[in-house]
Amino acid sequence: MNWHGPGMMVGMSRLPAPIARHARGLLPPIDHVAYREGVKAMTPLAVAIAVWGVVTGVAIVNAGLPIGAALLMTFTVFAGSAQLAVMPLLATGVPLPIVWVTALLVNLRFVIFAAASRRSFMHLPWRQRLLASYLNGDLGFALFSRRFADSALDEAAQQGNPEQWGYFYGVAVVNWAVWQAGSVAGFLIGGLMPTDWGFELAAYIALLALLIPMVQRMPAIAGVVGTATVAVLTVGWPMRLGLLLAVLVGVTIALLGEAWRDGRVSQS
Amino acid sequence: MATLLTRGSFFMLPARYALPAQLERALRYAPACALTAIVAQGVLTRDHRPFISFGNDQLWALLGAAIVFVKSRNMLLTIAIGMTVFTVLRLWA
Repeated sequence: MNWHGPGMMVGMSRLPAPIARHARGLLPPIDHVAYREGVKAMTPLAVAIAVWGVVTGVAIVNAGLPIGAALLMTFTVFAGSAQLAVMPLLATGVPLPIVWVTALLVNLRFVIFAAASRRSFMHLPWRQRLLASYLNGDLGFALFSRRFADSALDEAAQQGNPEQWGYFYGVAVVNWAVWQAGSVAGFLIGGLMPTDWGFELAAYIALLALLIPMVQRMPAIAGVVGTATVAVLTVGWPMRLGLLLAVLVGVTIALLGEAWRDGRVSQS
Repeated sequence: MATLLTRGSFFMLPARYALPAQLERALRYAPACALTAIVAQGVLTRDHRPFISFGNDQLWALLGAAIVFVKSRNMLLTIAIGMTVFTVLRLWA
């Protein structure tokens, strides 16, 4: 039974019975009522996801990425904002390591998502965790944490249970299918559109719309202003290295702003 | 790769590793800054030089889009109006 390789924290013998039965498959045990509940929760959002997929698809193909590469990217990366963000870099021939680091930075929010919801998945075999990782997008995380916010203190829920996994996969399957359908439609539409309409601006506007909800407070606003300033001033740097410096400066400013604000609050 | 590395990070790590509080605070700001850097370089520069002027149609379109989004929170409307502003300016100038 030693299929999962050495070094795993969770040995088969210590797995709870329902997990052990599903240990060889890619899916954990799923509660079907919760699965349908997840699908239902995601359905109203499906239209928005599909349209967002189309916009991303059109923008990517318009930036000059061949449809084959675009298809490969959407199925492997499956992260709209990262795909949109690296698209202008790929189109201008920026070296791949820079592209990769940029995608990583945009995706860093998932580290926080993963740290927040890991308890429910931690005890699953690694293949099931890997698939769940791939599927854990923004909206899915938001719905999942809202749905199970109350059970955070519950001992049984801490280990994860079929109800949680069912809900997670209900949400994730709708999200994945709708997003990919939208993206592929976008690739096809995008290939037909003239490139001089400046459609890449639509991608920047979409990124801006993602960005605005993230910067509602003072430290974040200060950080973002700092980032923008550095990014514009360093645009002539080779390999877009200014991009990385700009992010470093922005994060530092935001953290300093946070410390300064907290210091003032504790003084008064 | 970058998707799996980040989304999978704490799903795949053994239970004893946790995120240090200071690092978690820094991580909260990184995505916003990364997106900002890309948008700023995309819209506020031209031919690898800063391009902040009244003649920058993309800048006006982006400002208009930002106002629409703050008021409406509607992504589609935001893109539609931003692109309309840009197209009108482009054809007019």
